[in-house]
Amino acid sequence: MYSVPEHITMFGTGAALVGSVYPMIMAHTGGQGIPCPLRTLTGVPCPFCGMTTATVALTHGEWATAARTSPLAYLAAGLVVATAPVLVARTAGRASPPRAWSAAARQRTGRVMAVIVAASWIFQLHRFGFL
Amino acid sequence: MTGYPTDYPASAAPVVPYASWIQRVGAYVVDVLPIWILDIIGVSIGHASLSLLIDLISLVYIGYNRWYLGGTTGQSFGKKALNLRLISEQTGQPIGPLMAFVRDICHILDTIACFVGWLFPLWDAKRQTFADKIVGTVVIPA
Repeated sequence: MYSVPEHITMFGTGAALVGSVYPMIMAHTGGQGIPCPLRTLTGVPCPFCGMTTATVALTHGEWATAARTSPLAYLAAGLVVATAPVLVARTAGRASPPRAWSAAARQRTGRVMAVIVAASWIFQLHRFGFL
Repeated sequence: MTGYPTDYPASAAPVVPYASWIQRVGAYVVDVLPIWILDIIGVSIGHASLSLLIDLISLVYIGYNRWYLGGTTGQSFGKKALNLRLISEQTGQPIGPLMAFVRDICHILDTIACFVGWLFPLWDAKRQTFADKIVGTVVIPA
């Protein structure tokens, strides 16, 4: 069993791998990144808009582009970097299984995530000229 | 007690019996990777009737793998590879091809919420996506 940050690390690592070859895929398919449902339907961006572009930028060392497009990608990347050692240790059987957080801790995390997502949404709304 | 255990407080941490999120991601990737590869090949070649053929092949493959196998045995290729099983939370049994099809349609809602529905199993008490909640399914280790 893995903790939530470790899940994000595993997924983030996979995303980084895909991100590093994504331009090659896009070059052959003329695509533009995973389309945001909200933006496609209404033109309004969601909090996670720019994640594909930012992930690709991060995996190619384009730090400024990534930050300009979606700071959330840096948060995900930070989680990947911070949690990777724990994940490796756990997979190698050198760390004990994660302990579940208390209901209070989970609620607090939920509230913090809500603030982060709201901030990201404001950033994206600004980036697309709505604010 | 009939069916699969469903009653514990939603505020408590998810119990081990449900499949972990990353396993489900892995199973889903195994299920759809052939389609993605076909799509990329199809778009690269760019011939209109080839695209139609690829669409048809994809549909037959999805129908067989995710709806027929997934519905009758609870295990699509992906779930089998990752040792997972899709069951009704009421009966503990596979849900049948029709409901497996309906469940996949309901995944549209997971996507429309800007993919947040697909992340729900990370923190949900029963590790359910929106589609799981609508259709009444859970994914467990096989």
